[in-house]
Amino acid sequence: MDLSLPADAPGHPHSQSRYNVYVQIAMILAIITGVEILLIFLPFAKWLVIGSLVALSAVKFLFVIFFFMHLRWDRLLCTGIFFIGLVLGGGTLWALVRLFSAAASVPLSSSP
Amino acid sequence: MSVAAATIDRHGEPSTATGIPNKKLLFWAFLASDCMFFGTLISTHLVYRLHPPPGNPVPTQIFNIELTSFSTFILLMSSLMMALAVNAIQRGNVRSMRSSLLVTIAFGLIFLGCQVFEFNDFVFEKHVTITNSIFGSTFFTLTGTHGTHVAVGMLWLTLMYIRSFKPAAAAGGGWVGRAVIHLLVFAAAVLLAMYATLGFAHAALASGINGPMLAAYSSSYGPAVGGAFLAAGGLRFLGIEHGPVDFDAHNADDVESMGLYWHFVDIVWIVIFTAVYLLEYVFPAGPVR
Repeated sequence: MDLSLPADAPGHPHSQSRYNVYVQIAMILAIITGVEILLIFLPFAKWLVIGSLVALSAVKFLFVIFFFMHLRWDRLLCTGIFFIGLVLGGGTLWALVRLFSAAASVPLSSSP
Repeated sequence: MSVAAATIDRHGEPSTATGIPNKKLLFWAFLASDCMFFGTLISTHLVYRLHPPPGNPVPTQIFNIELTSFSTFILLMSSLMMALAVNAIQRGNVRSMRSSLLVTIAFGLIFLGCQVFEFNDFVFEKHVTITNSIFGSTFFTLTGTHGTHVAVGMLWLTLMYIRSFKPAAAAGGGWVGRAVIHLLVFAAAVLLAMYATLGFAHAALASGINGPMLAAYSSSYGPAVGGAFLAAGGLRFLGIEHGPVDFDAHNADDVESMGLYWHFVDIVWIVIFTAVYLLEYVFPAGPVR
């Protein structure tokens, strides 16, 4: 890592290329957000819409953590630490939704 | 040394056993815990949306998806500006970092302003509060907690911005006093601008933008608008450097940690926007089964 080079020199580790990457990713995220908003108003099957929304959100999520949060360029330990929390939190969410979706979990006084 | 290790931003920090600066490592551990924290809030909201009790508000009749979409876009753009701020300080460009931080703060304020507007609309127009329905309780707890995270992030961004002006040959009390004044002027500018903007939004929605509305707005909010411009002028004056500053690429780790927090706030909103807002339009009639 040669910090004696000017900041914008090709050999400098933080050259213009990362700036361009960030801007391009931001544009992609904006487009994906637009697509998500359009999707909910389209007359597609519910499973398709939900699957697409989840997939698009996951793509946005991964773009932000790997590029904006630098996980792509950092040590694997950072990724591991974050994903431990993510898996525990996400797993808890999934388990609770599955549990309360079960027929036996329907409250006696819920809406029809 | 691996390629990944060669690109780690280490500028004069003592080496650690993991090869990662301690501040950064701690921050990733904190973010992992915050994942679990938000996971519980989101899952609580979703669980209570599965079987809403009778009389529960219908979210699609309450939400303003256009406003929420706009605020989502704004938060994404603030994340971009934060990434550019980190990139700038890693290249030792303090001025570029400051500009990017200011834009990040501005976008964060717009997001918070949209949330304040939304909460006001829900409480006073739609009569959904945190206490009168299950939906209100889970919704306001979740989005309010996220909004609090954004507000704390705003404060941190502002403090980092002010910190970047610390003179290289600081004389103790002189710098601290100036920094406090800078913070107070910043707070005044932000609060007055938000008050004036939200007042304008409410007035415009109530009676449209016309002569009488503008006249009434000027008489009620004129001092706030004037104060905001005055405070902005004060910020411009306080933002002038008077010699070398004690802030450079060696502070990149601190800015990067702050960036990690801001990006985390953004990714939580990505999940909330989909799970809380968008999914309601897929199931407008009732619960997920």
